[in-house]
Amino acid sequence: MKNILLPVVALLLLTFSCSSDDDTFYEEEVVAPLGAYEDGILVSSEGGPSSIAFISEDLSTSENTIYYNVNNEDLGVYLQSIGFNNDLAYIVTDSNNTITIVNRNTFEKVGAITTGLELPRYISFLNGKGYVSNWGDPNDATDDFIAVIDLATNTVESTVPVGEGPERILANDNKLFVSHKGGYGSNNIISVVHANSTVVNTITVNDNPDEMIMNNSGQLVVLCGGKEAWSGTETLGSITKINVTNNTVISNHEFPMGVHPNLMDYGNGNLYFQTSDNKIYSMTDADTSLPTTSILELTTGYTYGMAVKDNRLFVADASFTSQSEILVYDLSTATQTHSFDAGIGASKIYFN
Amino acid sequence: MKHIICLLLVLSVCFGGIAQTQLDSIQSLDEVVLSDVKLKQYAPGFKIEVLKDSVLRTNAQSLTGLLAFNSNIYFKENGNGMVSSPSFRGTNASQTAVIWNGIPINSQLNGQTDFNTINTTHYNDIAIRSGGGSVQYGSGAIGGSIHLNNTLLFKPHFDTTMRLGYGSYDTKTGSVSSAIGSDRWSVNVGLAYNASENDYPYLGTTKKNVNGAYNNLDLNLNLGYFISDNDVLKLYHQHFIGNRDFSGTVATPSQSHYEDKNYRSLIEWSHLAKAFNYQLKVAHLQEHFKYFGTQSTSNFSYGKVNTLIVKPSFNFRFSRKIKLQTSVDYTKYDAEGTSFGTPSRSNVSATALLNHKVSRAFSYGVNLRKDFTSTFSNPLVFSVDTEYAVTKHYSLQLNGSRNYRVPTFNDLYWQPGGNLDLIPESSYQVDLGQQLSFGFAQLKLNGYFIKTSELIVWKPNSIGLWSPVNIASTQSYGAEIEGHAEVHFKSHYFKLDGHYSYTVSEDTNTKKQLIYVPFHKANFSIAYSYKKLALFFQHAFNGDVFTTEDNLKGRLTSLPSYDVSNLGLEYSLYNKGNNTLSLGGTINNVFNKSYQSVAFRPMPNRNFNIQLHYKF
Repeated sequence: MKNILLPVVALLLLTFSCSSDDDTFYEEEVVAPLGAYEDGILVSSEGGPSSIAFISEDLSTSENTIYYNVNNEDLGVYLQSIGFNNDLAYIVTDSNNTITIVNRNTFEKVGAITTGLELPRYISFLNGKGYVSNWGDPNDATDDFIAVIDLATNTVESTVPVGEGPERILANDNKLFVSHKGGYGSNNIISVVHANSTVVNTITVNDNPDEMIMNNSGQLVVLCGGKEAWSGTETLGSITKINVTNNTVISNHEFPMGVHPNLMDYGNGNLYFQTSDNKIYSMTDADTSLPTTSILELTTGYTYGMAVKDNRLFVADASFTSQSEILVYDLSTATQTHSFDAGIGASKIYFN
Repeated sequence: MKHIICLLLVLSVCFGGIAQTQLDSIQSLDEVVLSDVKLKQYAPGFKIEVLKDSVLRTNAQSLTGLLAFNSNIYFKENGNGMVSSPSFRGTNASQTAVIWNGIPINSQLNGQTDFNTINTTHYNDIAIRSGGGSVQYGSGAIGGSIHLNNTLLFKPHFDTTMRLGYGSYDTKTGSVSSAIGSDRWSVNVGLAYNASENDYPYLGTTKKNVNGAYNNLDLNLNLGYFISDNDVLKLYHQHFIGNRDFSGTVATPSQSHYEDKNYRSLIEWSHLAKAFNYQLKVAHLQEHFKYFGTQSTSNFSYGKVNTLIVKPSFNFRFSRKIKLQTSVDYTKYDAEGTSFGTPSRSNVSATALLNHKVSRAFSYGVNLRKDFTSTFSNPLVFSVDTEYAVTKHYSLQLNGSRNYRVPTFNDLYWQPGGNLDLIPESSYQVDLGQQLSFGFAQLKLNGYFIKTSELIVWKPNSIGLWSPVNIASTQSYGAEIEGHAEVHFKSHYFKLDGHYSYTVSEDTNTKKQLIYVPFHKANFSIAYSYKKLALFFQHAFNGDVFTTEDNLKGRLTSLPSYDVSNLGLEYSLYNKGNNTLSLGGTINNVFNKSYQSVAFRPMPNRNFNIQLHYKF
């Protein structure tokens, strides 16, 4: 019997001695807030868990999870977007129907809107009020709305019903332009909501309108993804310019079948957009047709966010199973110059 | 395929003719009372742990609670009572097969069983079979399989058990079951109900588990009847209806609601001739879920699958030492659901299991299976296993197998994203076990290696469309220790059980540990009884896990280890003849530890439960 027990005991001892793990495994890394976030780049990551990362203006330092570092709490999922108004940043998380309000420079929480929202997406500001696009019940195409926020009390003071799947929201003059990407489905309208009124006009565009910017010529530029082939009926994507005075389409630049624009930003008087073949193109306000040659071919796995400032292009290479990466490119040389870690599902890049 | 089936049938007839006519009384008894004979008779080289009697009675009624404290399997639970999935030997949740009376019941939609939708009350035993079992149990039996078994007793008896319990968070439990029988027939019937507000506080915060209420009803009915001296007809039926509000995370409370309905029926006819037995099983399974995004909405998404299984099998015993089981099964799956239309598929498989007991000390098995599926091709799977008793107290077990897991209906048909080009995951493994056993104690040591390729992973493609692809490969290896001991001393009775496992499970390319697989997991329980009093204490330790693939240690990327302990007491108030009445109490999470098994989803604080137990 001894002959057998001996190796067994030895094996036991060996197993347990191998098991002495690194005891410091969970001593949490204490990250002291760098202090002011008044300049620099903010990256929001959808999650879960969601988080916000900060990259300094000169790209020399970065800090992850700044909201948690300052406030010792998490934001909840999924972090859709951040809107900025004066000194405040409004962080929109959809599943918990919450907008968390922080000081954009210190990131200290100053309040929250927790009632009256249902799957909120984006926030914009006009005449001292906040306007938030909401999907409502995503399976119900008729309950979508814009929530009007009283910024003094941080409460929803009224709602404006709109079509299915309101997404981005952009304020200009006395109007709010809302792109309807369609939520769980698909849609092809821009709603025009007039301040202090429930009157809503619509402009028909190509399918799945998403990002919008005002260019230096005073035109509203809308990126319409079009329906992808996997949806069963592929439709054309486009970049559409709209006259904001009379709400009509000025020009509609359609992409060929098989190529769909995903992301767009505006800087240096140029429009920059990324397409489904993961290339970046640029276009001036005066251009009358889509560019045919790209300025950059990305090698990212999943390009989920893009922003341009000065001569820098920022790209979010999102991962949902590990940390994401933010890549910085020099537009003049079309080369990558920096990279930073960001949270899970990094999606939006803002310049603070 | 036809050839293989024909061959099996021809073999069946030939062997049937030449088989000798000796009937091993133990085997015939197995065939009468057991629903899954191959679990016992065709696995000499596999580690099988059987939980029954007092273990089933004193533990939690959910399969998660039972196994977390009484096996080597690691669980992650989306909060108490919510979706729960196992990791068996470092494999993922759809690589553990759950077998109900010999029939695989993992969901055809996601490939998994939610271990919180299995109520353990009415099973006579629950067996944990470690290692690959695809030959015997088909798709998904890669890490191992969990067997829920009902047995039918053919002798005059009449027993009824009633249990009533009440505990923290307004938790109510109640069950009643009866077993009646004679030499020719046997009936088991049982009903169990659980309900809880489940609104426990999140320790260390001011929040509580809102939207976590659940209730479920489990009905079991099993019948057996000897049509003639050699033919027994059995019917097993189980019915589970669950309603759960799905709780959210600390920062994101949820409002969703989920309904489960599972119906399982099995009719089995066994012919018990001496050397050549045959059996026909016909089973129908239905799984059905409804998901509501909010409490107020009437909109829901749903999925439903009907499964029909027809399985004739033939058992030959050429001598006391050699036996062979061949079977051909036909399975038809019909699904419908919000996100995948109405796909269906059919599957035919041919299986041969051979067991040879060379001597009292040495036996081995060789097993083969080939599946033919309407929508993709399956590998030929095999297993070989052997057991050798070195001495009276020490034996060795060795098995090697190839196993597989087929793509689920979600993987293939989900819109958008489903991928019709998927092929089954393929896995090879070896497992070496040593067993020391003495009258009062038993110790098992196992080491294993599992290599799986063509793993199906959902990931976003370049345009952000999530789609499953056969992309990853993993390898798992580790060591397990399982120990049991019991001591009677005058009126004192002690029972000790313990498990420890060390698991490395990594992506073959990145060499990173898979998420939610702890390197270390251990548990032990001590039961003590003295006259009218019974006590138990159980403790589980789960090591740190990574929650993201980059294996970073931090608040958002890993979860710390945790310990959780439960304490229970039972006192017999009345005991006369067949009538017993006892009162019990349990304290769960005795030391009031704050822990999470899934990130940001806290588990309950210390909580209490009292139970009244009446048997006649």
